[in-house]
Amino acid sequence: MQNQVKENYTISGYFVFFLIGAPQAAAGILNFQSHVLRDAGQDSWISIILVGLSLHLIIWMIYKMLGNPAKDVIDLHRLIFGKLMGNAISLLLVGYYFIMALFYFRAYIEIIQVWVFPTVRTWAMAGLLICMIYYVVSGGFRVVAGFSFFYMALIPLLFLLYFPIRQGNIHQLLPVLNHSFLDLLKGAKSSSFIFFGLEALLIYFPFLKSPEKNVKWAHFALLFTTLKYTAMIIVTLMYFSQGLLKHTLWPTLAMSKIIELSFVARFEYFYIFMWLLVIIPTVCIPIWCCTRMMKRVAALQPRLSLPFILAALFIAALTVNERIQIDVLEKYINEIGFYFIFAYIPLLFIINTVALKLKSNVDKSFKDG
Amino acid sequence: MLSHVHKALKEISKSNDFLQTTIDIKDIRLHFSYYKTLISHEQFHHDLLSFFQLSNGEIENVHDLKALIPIEGIKVLSNVEEIVQSLAHGSIFIQMDPSLDEGLLVDIADLKLGHRGYNDTENEYSVIGPKVGFVENIDINLSLLRRGLVTEKLIFEQHIIGSLSKTRIVIAYLEDITNPQHVNTARQRLLDLEFDVLFETSLLEQLITDNSNSPFPLFMSSERLDRVMYSMLNGEVALLCDGSPIVITAPVNLFSFIISPEDYYLPWIMGSFFRLIRYFGIAFSILATSFYVAILTFHYTVIPRDLLGPIIESRSNVPFPPLLEVLFLEITIELLREAGSRLPTKVSQTLGIVGGIILGQAAVQAALTSNILLIIVSLSALASFTTPIFKMSNTIRFLRFPLIVLASLWGGLGIMIGLMLILGHLLRLKSLGSPYIVPLFPFRHKSFNDSFIRSSFTFLSHRLSFTRPLSKKRFTVQKNKDIGDDYNNE
Repeated sequence: MQNQVKENYTISGYFVFFLIGAPQAAAGILNFQSHVLRDAGQDSWISIILVGLSLHLIIWMIYKMLGNPAKDVIDLHRLIFGKLMGNAISLLLVGYYFIMALFYFRAYIEIIQVWVFPTVRTWAMAGLLICMIYYVVSGGFRVVAGFSFFYMALIPLLFLLYFPIRQGNIHQLLPVLNHSFLDLLKGAKSSSFIFFGLEALLIYFPFLKSPEKNVKWAHFALLFTTLKYTAMIIVTLMYFSQGLLKHTLWPTLAMSKIIELSFVARFEYFYIFMWLLVIIPTVCIPIWCCTRMMKRVAALQPRLSLPFILAALFIAALTVNERIQIDVLEKYINEIGFYFIFAYIPLLFIINTVALKLKSNVDKSFKDG
Repeated sequence: MLSHVHKALKEISKSNDFLQTTIDIKDIRLHFSYYKTLISHEQFHHDLLSFFQLSNGEIENVHDLKALIPIEGIKVLSNVEEIVQSLAHGSIFIQMDPSLDEGLLVDIADLKLGHRGYNDTENEYSVIGPKVGFVENIDINLSLLRRGLVTEKLIFEQHIIGSLSKTRIVIAYLEDITNPQHVNTARQRLLDLEFDVLFETSLLEQLITDNSNSPFPLFMSSERLDRVMYSMLNGEVALLCDGSPIVITAPVNLFSFIISPEDYYLPWIMGSFFRLIRYFGIAFSILATSFYVAILTFHYTVIPRDLLGPIIESRSNVPFPPLLEVLFLEITIELLREAGSRLPTKVSQTLGIVGGIILGQAAVQAALTSNILLIIVSLSALASFTTPIFKMSNTIRFLRFPLIVLASLWGGLGIMIGLMLILGHLLRLKSLGSPYIVPLFPFRHKSFNDSFIRSSFTFLSHRLSFTRPLSKKRFTVQKNKDIGDDYNNE
């Protein structure tokens, strides 16, 4: 295999738990509820479980087609579509990962502007964050992966759900399953965006040490995310009425506002600031993927491509400036992310399997003949 | 025709302390050349001259002389460079015929000259545990180590570094335990080094460190014998430098700087408790004042109503923004500390009282700061001194200043950005090629036995994995046989 990753740049296979978990934790845990509720109402927690379970299949596919020997999607494209065509498709993926990074980046700046510093300029915030992203990504994949580990520091915040549960009403979850299966599937589609971030596995797969042995950690990560979001949505449904939820932009933050201890109030500030711990790896992983792909496809050194990509990110973040634009971006992202994960990856898997089958048949006939 | 050696000796004798004397013993004339400031005169008279005088046999050449003297480290040499080198290290050069190159080189350097004999571990004090520390003389240090680790596996490897100082640097490690990769890395970095005078191991540390642009120490530096021995038996490499009472060891991780040897001398419950207090102290010391700035500048709604009253009240007379108020007090504390460490002990005690109590009180009364801030700043100063290793405690004191500035610019977000940058920096750091924050990243759940807490020796029987030691097992803890676990007393 060409471009084998050197041993000392690889990371332990179980780290995929954090690499998948961190971006999924960022993908709108603060405001996912209102999107999810639209179709499935109080049954939307079933929709989330449905998506979560179906994604295990996708992870299985990714591991199946990229493993043995470990390769990334660029190799796969070349293998299937030939060098020129494969590279072209890989370049399209650069755009995909860039838009992903842009969305999370812009969404976080928006939260800062709405909740904490209403007067802060977008460019100032974006510049500050971009300096940080540059520092992290220029440290290489190990640093990016290390960062994603530290989102575990936020897990204790989940226990703060106790406060809204105390105020909540379990009857708001009833009646269970009064939505049609089609509604549930629609809800599943609109809630699929909370699982975005796992498709970066396509790029960093060869950086994992003995990935096949550690496939369980990828599934654990997914399972953990599913459980987390299910718990969150159930608590949200218990706490808010559905009418109120439609008009609440960030339900998670609104729920955390009620927490008050003897020495601290306004907990949503902690949520927002601590969220940087998740946002940084969530933005850095796709950005790193972009530099990696540019290096592999266009032989562009990351030293050159990283400033270029970050400059593009900066400009793009400035152009998306209003709530409506961000909303449009979000809808757009949800669509292409959904089709990327649930259509493109299975398609690639099927083509790959067929191609392998054909190849082995050809080989066999060569041997026989 | 004069010999090369003669010319070289003539050249050196410009120096006042270089002596060239001739002594007649019986019918032979011996020519001695030495630095009188370096040799042991007692040894010269008792061990050298007396043996020459007592001899009965014929002495025809220097080899006969060599047979007479019962001292180790005697060489017959004619190499000019080596002779000059050895003279500079306290050897004496004896010739029978000064026109010849050949002569006898006897090492009678005075090791005790200009060195203290013992060292209290004043800078890394512990209530329990040995108080033996390293001294400036490397030979004494080596013998301390040799006596502490009684095994033939203890290897000392010497290098001479420094174009002017010719300092002896010793790499010490335990063979079969220390990963040879670390020894090779350390050796290679030493060999690549070009420097004039090596005063200190801390200087050496900066020259061979993995990243010289970091506020974090990447080598453990200690003057405690027990600490260095502990590092070595965990598979670290120790570097000793002649003339320095501090020994540096590597690879280390961030968490070993918070460990005090006392943690192991106390029962594990107490050891863990004190260690956790130290972690709390570090967190408090880094964050307390920047939280104060962030909350009072931007997020005063974070404070519950009942607490807001007293804080506002105590700040009501202060005319400055929180940033200036905090910087004023923090810099005052730093001045006190810096002045205290430059003054003799007795004076600095007085200074502490004057500075700490009087200045603080006066500052509050003059409405330069608030009472609450005074408490926070002095507590965080106190907390920063709980770190056992001086260099790490410096780092912690330094880190709070950028955080205070960031907090005054962007409040809580600024603090978080500062912490993220520190985290990103820590993730990049390597100590002798090993990752710096190792039980966390790469995640090693087994090493948690001895990082945030110090668990019982039953769980500490294996070496920490981040040094990648060749043998993992350290010891086995057996249950004392006379203690039964039958609670029915049967």
